Amino acid sequence: MLAALAPSRLQFAPSRVPLAWRNLVADKRRLLRASAGIAFAVLLMLVQLGFERGFFAASLNAVVMLDGDLFVINASKYRFGTRNPFAPRELETMRTVSGVATVTPLYAAWMDFFWTSPVDDRPHLVRVFAIDPEAVPVFSLPGIADQQALLKTDDTVLVDSRARSFLGMDGSVTETKLNGTTVKIVGRFPLGPDFMSDGTLVMSARTFAKFYRTTPAALPVETAVIRLKSGEDVAAAQRRLAGALPASLRVMTKSEIVELERDFQAKLSSAAPIFWLGTLVGFIVGTLISYQIIYTELMDRLPQYATLKGIGYGNGYLIASVLRQALLTGIAGYVPAWLLCLAVYKIVGNIALLPLAMTLQLTLVSLGLTLGMCLFAALIAVRRVIAADPAEVF
Amino acid sequence: MASHIIGFGDTVLDSGAMRRPLRVAARLAWRILVHEKGRSALALVGVFIAILLVFIQLGFFIAVPQGGMLVYDNMRFDLLLVSTNYQFQAQPWQFPHARLTDAAKVVGVAQATPIYFAGAAWQDPSGGTRLDVFLIGFDPAARPFAVDDIERQSDILGKTDTILVDDMTRPIFGPLTVGRRVDLDDRRVTIGGTYHLGTGFLGLGVVLMDEANFFRVTHRRQDPVNLGLITVAPGADKDKVAAELRQKLGDDVQLFDRAELTAHESAYWTSRTSVGLIFGSGLVVSLIVGLMVLYQTLATQIARHLPEFATLKAIGYRDASLAMVVTIESLILAIAAFIPAAVAAMAVYALIRSETLLPLALSPTNVGLVLAAVVIISVGSACLSLSALRRADPAEIF
Repeated sequence: MLAALAPSRLQFAPSRVPLAWRNLVADKRRLLRASAGIAFAVLLMLVQLGFERGFFAASLNAVVMLDGDLFVINASKYRFGTRNPFAPRELETMRTVSGVATVTPLYAAWMDFFWTSPVDDRPHLVRVFAIDPEAVPVFSLPGIADQQALLKTDDTVLVDSRARSFLGMDGSVTETKLNGTTVKIVGRFPLGPDFMSDGTLVMSARTFAKFYRTTPAALPVETAVIRLKSGEDVAAAQRRLAGALPASLRVMTKSEIVELERDFQAKLSSAAPIFWLGTLVGFIVGTLISYQIIYTELMDRLPQYATLKGIGYGNGYLIASVLRQALLTGIAGYVPAWLLCLAVYKIVGNIALLPLAMTLQLTLVSLGLTLGMCLFAALIAVRRVIAADPAEVF
Repeated sequence: MASHIIGFGDTVLDSGAMRRPLRVAARLAWRILVHEKGRSALALVGVFIAILLVFIQLGFFIAVPQGGMLVYDNMRFDLLLVSTNYQFQAQPWQFPHARLTDAAKVVGVAQATPIYFAGAAWQDPSGGTRLDVFLIGFDPAARPFAVDDIERQSDILGKTDTILVDDMTRPIFGPLTVGRRVDLDDRRVTIGGTYHLGTGFLGLGVVLMDEANFFRVTHRRQDPVNLGLITVAPGADKDKVAAELRQKLGDDVQLFDRAELTAHESAYWTSRTSVGLIFGSGLVVSLIVGLMVLYQTLATQIARHLPEFATLKAIGYRDASLAMVVTIESLILAIAAFIPAAVAAMAVYALIRSETLLPLALSPTNVGLVLAAVVIISVGSACLSLSALRRADPAEIF
């Protein structure tokens, strides 16, 4: 007898009837309400996660554009974005190291230059990078690399078209004062502001030196950008350079110099915890919304579940079905939220000048959180189904 | 019609008894809520979290402008004299010292004292990283800071090459022990003590110095100055003094009273930086999510009681009467959740305050605004969830 029952049980255990799916789409209004509820919680998490990434990306916007194999900075620099230069004579030492193709100095100032904004005619602090327009480009950003030849004329600058609007760099401005000297705007590049700088200028080393009343050759160097001959081993060249240079200098790879800034931001920036807290709240609210949705759904279908139990379906089958339906509901909320978020990122990113972008990582993390909250809610709610007694329901 | 069978319908015309349907509706709403305590508690928790979410986002939204005011809030002045190029506290530009000397001569001005700001590199004499630190130079005798720790240690400030350090200066600066020697822009100074104020948005670390020490480190002179703190003599009319100062001083300076300064700094942080937009959008999203939670909760409650509501309809209750029941139910839920949420928000704010020293506080206006938003949202979601009720057909339910 029992042996005869077993195969037939097995036969209907793998569900040919997609119960979870049918339940999901049975009531379109309810599905709409459920997915809207979950979608908002997902949107909240995505927006918070996106802001956290965006702040990070903004603080790295300049350093990730550096174009070279190795970089030499002062060893006492705690982050890329602060002035702490070294003596220019070290450039010659670097050029003598075998395997080195080019050594290009990058000069920078974060606190020294005040740009008179055409918007309010007042001086505003801007970040300045100075390069040798004749040398190989040190920034891979379009607008700098392809326009740096224009900087050969003295007192010309390239300006950041994504600078904050009160600086008036995006408009039709052709010249303005910089620390009292008139400079001509000869081109634009899209970089964007970070925590410290509202806008950025790029000029030639000769123009930069004039502001400090010195010559380009005597200017202290912020970063030496080194390109190796093709086929050179980066790690070996890094060791050779470090050996040739005094201990007061540090030779870094691209990923190490990006890491230096990232590390600083991660340890000292207070923005990250705020957004993590926001994400957590989104998760809790999402769990709550999911629980209410799933609970209501289960209560409404309790007679049906009880009937299924009555005709011999086991708890395992019903739980699996409830969980599957929870996951489907989660996805139904996730997809519209993900799409809506693309628009939010675009609009807020453009207004706040923050690099907000949907990435695979963000998609996976938020999807994981969404499914997690739906499953968690379903697991709490499913007790009702387990407790459902066919004899009592009717 | 059935309306004369029970309650609502016929009493509406009965002048003077307008309050009765309300009381009946309130009693019914209350009964529904206490009937299933578990369900109601769950709904309450949901609404509580939604309101707490709004409070937290609001807190972040206001924390930044308030953080920008931290140092000013702890300085003694009635009027602040700054350059016309003044941006915000950490970028104040500068103006001639002579403006302060002139200001001091105006009748009603008790004191006009300069404050000097500079950035410097902080490095341990043994080497290591050169960290950016914010320097404030002032005359301790003028008592510009209303901070006990600073006033108590004013004679320490007077010692040559001795500094006070804010105890919220980040740990990467190393131990802030008294007697430790550090290099500020290559000049060796000694830590004479710490004080408890908070670095606001001035930087990762803040150092206080007496003017003479400040000039030695920064190679600056008495002229120009960054800020001028003006104190009005007791009994003098502040507005009159301000008007006279504005008239007498040159057009390279401007004058803020406390309210104007707060407005200026807060406008800087909310509109010049992306802070306003980011936390503003967080606030908007949290309001929408709050609405969703409230609506879901109420819609669930109504869906569960649909047979009962349909019965009430069948025996003659009008939609309007049922709407009143649902609205009252949602208001009871919202307000019952609002009170603990406000208390929990205070606790969260206190935690943020002690961790960051940001002067984060809930003003009665903010509490009122959140309460208003909650009431509007709960009435709104009651209206939304009523559509199910309106469709409820007594003949179909059973």
